[in-house]
Amino acid sequence: MTVHVGFDRADKDVRAAEHWFVELLGDQRDRVVACTHLLRVPSSHVAFSIALPSGVSVELPPVPDGLAAAAALAREEHLSGQGGRAFAYPGRDALVGTLSVADILSLSAIERVTVMGGAPATPDTLVETRDHVRPLWMAGHLTLVTLPHVDGRIAPFEMPEEIPCCSLH
Amino acid sequence: MGHGHGHHHHHDEVGIGGGSDLPAALDLSTPDDELRPEDRSRRAFLRRAGLLGAGVAAAGALGAGVGGGAEPASAHGKDDEHDHASFNGGGSFKWLAGDHHIHTHYSSDGMYRVIDQVQHGRAHGLDWMVITDHGSEAHAKIGVDKVNPEILAAREALKDTLVFQGLEWNIPAAEHGTVFVNPGKNELSVLKQFENNFDSSVKAAGDSTPANEALAISGLNFLADAVKRGKVEHALFLANHPARNGIDSPHEIRGWRDAAPGIAIGMEGAPGHQAGGLSKAKGGPGAARGAYGNSPSANSFPYPLESYRTWGGFDWFTATVGGLWDSLLAEGKPWWITANSDAHTIFLETAVRGNSDFNELGYYLDPVHGGTVNTTNVDFWPGYYSKTHVGATTDSYLAVMDGLRLGRIWVDHGGLLAGLDMRVRKAGDRSKDGGTPLGGTVSVKKGTALELVISIDLAVLPNWAEFVPKLARVDVIRGKVTGKPADKDAFTTPNTRVEKSFEVGTGQKKVSFTYALGRAEQSYYVRVRGTDGNRKGPGYLGVSVDAEGPAIDVVGDADPWADLWFYTNPIWVETH
Repeated sequence: MTVHVGFDRADKDVRAAEHWFVELLGDQRDRVVACTHLLRVPSSHVAFSIALPSGVSVELPPVPDGLAAAAALAREEHLSGQGGRAFAYPGRDALVGTLSVADILSLSAIERVTVMGGAPATPDTLVETRDHVRPLWMAGHLTLVTLPHVDGRIAPFEMPEEIPCCSLH
Repeated sequence: MGHGHGHHHHHDEVGIGGGSDLPAALDLSTPDDELRPEDRSRRAFLRRAGLLGAGVAAAGALGAGVGGGAEPASAHGKDDEHDHASFNGGGSFKWLAGDHHIHTHYSSDGMYRVIDQVQHGRAHGLDWMVITDHGSEAHAKIGVDKVNPEILAAREALKDTLVFQGLEWNIPAAEHGTVFVNPGKNELSVLKQFENNFDSSVKAAGDSTPANEALAISGLNFLADAVKRGKVEHALFLANHPARNGIDSPHEIRGWRDAAPGIAIGMEGAPGHQAGGLSKAKGGPGAARGAYGNSPSANSFPYPLESYRTWGGFDWFTATVGGLWDSLLAEGKPWWITANSDAHTIFLETAVRGNSDFNELGYYLDPVHGGTVNTTNVDFWPGYYSKTHVGATTDSYLAVMDGLRLGRIWVDHGGLLAGLDMRVRKAGDRSKDGGTPLGGTVSVKKGTALELVISIDLAVLPNWAEFVPKLARVDVIRGKVTGKPADKDAFTTPNTRVEKSFEVGTGQKKVSFTYALGRAEQSYYVRVRGTDGNRKGPGYLGVSVDAEGPAIDVVGDADPWADLWFYTNPIWVETH
């Protein structure tokens, strides 16, 4: 029996939110599916959801006043498989280096791989993971969205190094 | 190339009418024919810019979707002397190449003096440039003042180059934008006041909240007021790298355009940082073309993930046929595109910053020779790769700003074209300089047969990568004008598609295509793009809309010289 929980700290930054939660999960991060959600209610911010299998418990902070609806929405997105970006999930730590699509599907909780702006992937298509794989809940499936990469490979849409949104350039 | 621009004197045109604190040109209780000639001229200018009269709030060339019977403010395309003509704005233009997005050592991520950028831009073929250092606390306190003497000195040292002062505005609740003004005695004070009051970095107004969105509109209103009152002769705003972080929502863009028509005129169709995609295997930075390598954040509008990458070097808003740009054009209102360098630090540069701590001084000391070649910098010099070509009536600051405001703009990468002229004219019209040029509006009776003529001077000289680019294909894109959308966050329109493609033969210097547009039954616009044909893929909205569009750029392996495109702004057809 898996329990889905949504919660919220009014985080502003996706990466910082993820970092905080991964620290909190510690060794349990490979046993849960934990996601960030970009919500616009009551205003733009980052919320969390987590799917906890039996026997796993996490001490979560209370949801502040005014964010209960957002926390519930995050939970609903996760439960229905319609939204959320997973940063902790079974198999995440195995997704390093270059792997085939088949490897990714067998090693981790990721259920499908799509290619944006390119030909569909085959089981043999090589994925340059860049050691940073963040699948999304889309249409009920934990989906890794990729882009064409060097040498006919594909790579996850989200890059490990991003220019912070509010930086210069 | 412009030479002998001569003097650019600009007088303070504020005239105080009797009993009114309004400048005479603004005081509509004084009839046009009672104004002094200079005030009459200013009033005509303000009208054309959409800054005067009842049409301001609803400025748009076409009546569709514009309510209240307001007189259209002719925010584009209608030259004063042709206001009443069915076909307007013929005649020849000087096509002046420029770049409205350039950084110097007054940006914490820049390094060059103004003269470094201007010398390079000039050498690479630019006639006009806008210096746009980042709005920031350091810039608002120090840089905005200190850059001005450098700009004045550059104007003096290189007299045939137009150097505007502007800034890169951190738009409250949104991305960055270029803001610049016509040179004059108040250029610095207007920009400084604007930055201190409306920059989101200075005002801590970055989050996507309604209050911050309103602050952005207030900033544009401030610029409109500065122009109305003659503090500066003209001010322009363009949204930079608009899709990069997903934080320019469609309703914000519509809001800027509608708040300040004639000032908020468009967006970068293609961002700078075009060297970013050169692969590491080939000695490049191995990053994202255009530095478009991000993903959604808390402040992002829910755009699809495809919008976060460039397509053929262009921003997804522009590159998607039937996408956000077309959804704006389908309203019948102007929104133009440009292409720029965003030059901060140049690919293969050997110079380094003169000091390492920007915060000590508010700028970097003059660059010094560093002795090693930097292969991680992602920028090209102004004019080296991206150019914004503006049809101006003279070699002057105001004429460049007018050309931009009127949408007489086409853009290219890698010197793909040597020149372009595009007109819509009555079918069979062969008169010299006949027809309506880029950015213009042709107003015709329903049933009038029209044709589009595109004349292209092909590149005959090598570009700055030392090869002669070859244009392979030209696409004609047409969209219906359907008025204001029900949803102000709409970012697609169903009635725009690639309608015709022309193959370009080899061995010619000039090609001309005439395309029969048929009898005009309703208002529409037509725009053109072309490519070297090296990379193509189905457009985001599918093959029925755009079968051979630009392909999404591969992060870490996108050679910008091997994927060249040009885009024009539209010409409008209005039926009555």
